[in-house]
Amino acid sequence: MQVRDYLIRRLVLLPFIMLGVSVVVFTLTRFTGSPVGIYATPNMTPDEVAALEARYLLDQPIPVQYAAWLGGLLQGDLGWSGVSVAPVTAVIGDKMTATLELALAAAIIAILGGIALGTIAGVRHNKGPDHMARLFSILGASTPTFWFGLLLLVPFYLWLDWFPLGRSTTEIWNSIGHPIGLYTLDAILAGSPVALLDALRHLVLPATVLAFGAMAIIVRMMRSSMVEALSEEYVDAARSKGLPEGVVIKRHARRNALVPTTTVIGLSFGFLLQGSVAVELIFRWPGLGQWVTSAILSGDQATIMSYVLVTAVIFMTVNLAVDIAYAYLDRRVVLGG
Amino acid sequence: MSNSTATAGIDESNQSVMSVKWTRRKEVAREVFSNPLTVLGMVIIGAFFLMALLAPLLTEPNQPDAYQSPRDWANIDSPPGIDGHVLGTDSQGGDVLYGIIWGSRLSLQLSLTVVGFTLVFGAIIGSVAAMRGGRLDNFLMRLVDVFLSIPELIFALAIAAVLGPSFRNIILALAAVFWVKYARIIRGEIIRIKQAEYVAAARVTGDSTWNIYRKDVLPNAVTPLVVQATLDMGNVVLIGATLSFIGLAQAGLTEWGAMVSAGQSGLLAGEWWVSTFAGLAIVLWALAFNLVGDGLRDVLDPKTEGR
Amino acid sequence: MSDTTLLRVEDLSVHFRSSRGVAHAVDHVSFDIKPHETLALVGETGCGKSVTARSILRLVPEPPGEYASGAVFLRNADGSESDILSSSPKEVRAIRGDRISMIFQDPGKALNPGLTIGRQLAEVFGEHRLSMLFENAEMAGSKPSRLAQRVAQQRANAFQKLLFDVTSRGASKRLQKAIDESVMDALADTGIPNPRKIMQSYPHELSGGMKQRVMIAQALACDPDLLIADEPTTALDVTIQARILELIHQMQQRRGMAILYITHDLSLVREFADRVAVMYAGRIVEMGPSADVLASPQHPYTQGLLNAIPRAATPRGELAAIPGTVPQLIEPPAQCHFATRCEFASAACRSVVPVPLTTGPGRTVACHRFDCAESLGVPADDMPVAATVKGKPSR
Repeated sequence: MQVRDYLIRRLVLLPFIMLGVSVVVFTLTRFTGSPVGIYATPNMTPDEVAALEARYLLDQPIPVQYAAWLGGLLQGDLGWSGVSVAPVTAVIGDKMTATLELALAAAIIAILGGIALGTIAGVRHNKGPDHMARLFSILGASTPTFWFGLLLLVPFYLWLDWFPLGRSTTEIWNSIGHPIGLYTLDAILAGSPVALLDALRHLVLPATVLAFGAMAIIVRMMRSSMVEALSEEYVDAARSKGLPEGVVIKRHARRNALVPTTTVIGLSFGFLLQGSVAVELIFRWPGLGQWVTSAILSGDQATIMSYVLVTAVIFMTVNLAVDIAYAYLDRRVVLGG
Repeated sequence: MSNSTATAGIDESNQSVMSVKWTRRKEVAREVFSNPLTVLGMVIIGAFFLMALLAPLLTEPNQPDAYQSPRDWANIDSPPGIDGHVLGTDSQGGDVLYGIIWGSRLSLQLSLTVVGFTLVFGAIIGSVAAMRGGRLDNFLMRLVDVFLSIPELIFALAIAAVLGPSFRNIILALAAVFWVKYARIIRGEIIRIKQAEYVAAARVTGDSTWNIYRKDVLPNAVTPLVVQATLDMGNVVLIGATLSFIGLAQAGLTEWGAMVSAGQSGLLAGEWWVSTFAGLAIVLWALAFNLVGDGLRDVLDPKTEGR
Repeated sequence: MSDTTLLRVEDLSVHFRSSRGVAHAVDHVSFDIKPHETLALVGETGCGKSVTARSILRLVPEPPGEYASGAVFLRNADGSESDILSSSPKEVRAIRGDRISMIFQDPGKALNPGLTIGRQLAEVFGEHRLSMLFENAEMAGSKPSRLAQRVAQQRANAFQKLLFDVTSRGASKRLQKAIDESVMDALADTGIPNPRKIMQSYPHELSGGMKQRVMIAQALACDPDLLIADEPTTALDVTIQARILELIHQMQQRRGMAILYITHDLSLVREFADRVAVMYAGRIVEMGPSADVLASPQHPYTQGLLNAIPRAATPRGELAAIPGTVPQLIEPPAQCHFATRCEFASAACRSVVPVPLTTGPGRTVACHRFDCAESLGVPADDMPVAATVKGKPSR
């Protein structure tokens, strides 16, 4: 089956593409002043530095250096993070879960909100709600996330003080265990409403800001696929069976309109990853984005390069998952019509 | 409607090919301009272009670096309207309006350079890959896949960080990242067109590959490229502003993203004008190009064409 | 009007608003359908026959469409008539799929690609035969819960279905069985072999002919009094067309429903229709028993249509086409729409709209050739060449 073949091809290519990404990142490291700087801790003696250089074969030709670098990578040596004053591998886990929680929250808002708004816009085609949805879409695509964040920060944080900055209030955070690493879920597991409330209060504002851009493209796609679905003959056929309009819209039109929308959902995840950089910076969210922005300001190459690698892997995985989901839905819908 | 195409069909055989193309272009242009939103976008773009080009006339360029706002130490952090500072000043007395005007020059520079380069470079790579096919195509497309696995902003961020914080490096970083999109688009178009019958017909007449490419393939592949390029004129400035916001541009640069960043601390103290106006400039720029890009897409998209 | 008519369309006009003006897609159309009879509505593409058919079930989107005038009367069980066009949405929905059903031109497009055949048919039962399903599932004792209703109507999501399974004490299994059996019976009735397999399939897995059978099964599931068939064979291969038509004819013999055929194919009319109404540019130009109309057509347009059919027996030569094109329907002038293409057209034809005139038992034609100058109020010179049969106004 052609769809299955396509997916198998993707899976087989995946390691090669990851290898390609590693080559790109490696090339970038060679542009920095001292390649060994990635691994050097601040208090190393010149002997230790020399030992590092020898281990990573920095006097050898480039391809050999790449092999050594890659070897180190696969053994878990991502270098020393200057901004975190620790090996990258020690801190990256926490940063990842923080960003993941933010991205997931934003994704939920963007997907649910986007589908709902897009459906209404499609049903009320060319009327009030539709125009508002289109305005929303184009503003979402034109507004820089960092500015939008600042725009919301002033009223909600500065004036009303409804939502605090950061991810948690330290005492409350420390009061519960963190088996999963996602504050909201940890709070639920620990049965602590105080912690849950704390988690949500910190999460709402950055997640909403982050969701804005992604929601805009989802709304847009959902709207146009709803308009198309509603013009299909099977919608009229469903009405001719005596089904109520709500059922026709939800079960017949929307279900089919959701299929092309899944492709956009994958795309919007890229938006979420990119947007997290600015959002985490503004809202002091202790995730990957904030981590890398501090690294930029201090020239911490290890952090930056690890960040690129990790985000690329996450991005590729999510894309593949979305493609599999789409192929599953696609098989039934597109191949038939 | 059906009547008009019927007569046009009879006429076309008498007209020359060029004049038929010209009438079509006029039709397309008319459709584009009939959308008020598209026209609005064009007006805003026009305003920005004028602002950018006429910057040295609109304001007195600062010495030695025009792209640093002149410091009025007597009027730091002053709200709009005081002492000739129409939009206020920042924490170093830099005039916000000056920043916006000279920032538009930077935006123009950034977007034209990046889009110009990436469009051409991407189109070349994509064309070569599609026309040659085979292993070259495979290799180039894997390369494109690798580039596409890293989100644009993050990739550009890494490159700019490695090269060092400067506006010029932001331009380079974005150019290095954005070309893949165009390569993919044109390759897709060429493959689609290659399979169309009229290319086979051209081959039969013995046309060289280059001629087929020029006459049959290129004119049809141009449409999605134009739409993407227009949208990217806006996107590039959006991402570029994010990069300077994070700190990848020189300090004090009259670049809109950097200005928003500079105005951050002021925001929390109630001095809203720096970040707000600079941010509005970015929104307007991106909005204008999005409106025009959408308008073009509505008109040129094959799915809606010939309605 | 005789009180045995099943459906009576009276003076129906449907307009569409567009940026270019108001298009009169259907213009003062009247006809009736008796129980068990087959009426064919014939005309070229764009003549308004499809819009007329959809109007009966009130399927025309409003806007951009609007029912500018007229009524569609359906006979109720107690002998009274109700106008579909002024009934409440709930009443209209009760009629759709139950008393009047419709099958569409392209079964590939009219079946939802994302739902199994079984679910799409189950929807009809769930909508109109809920109590029957509950009875068959032996759930009729106590009043079935809202949850049970939702499941039966195929409106429950996965979580609700699970809840129902768990709390119903076996009723959910019986209910599903009842639904499946109703569906499979409906499918088998149209001669579909292996209904269980078809029930579990998706539309794209079936052939065109099979899909159309499924559509017919779906439309006849609740034993409607009237079946509207909108060009049911146009999208099918020639070899399948005949079988589908046979099937519809068979079902009519068995079930006794009336059929409204929308078609541009006159050969279908000849074989299957009791009566035929010919439409042109939104108006009915001729109507009568199909044998009579086809043997001796009275309206010039009908004559033109019949002449245009290539016959094997005629000598070789050019195909006879009707010269000219269909006129614009936007703000149409008050005249006979066919005047621009008619060989008999005269001044009266270009200034007065022809009304249907009775020219025989059950036959009407809307043409000035069957009228006289006095009743039209025009000078005798303006009249076209008279036809051999004179007509009387039919209403």
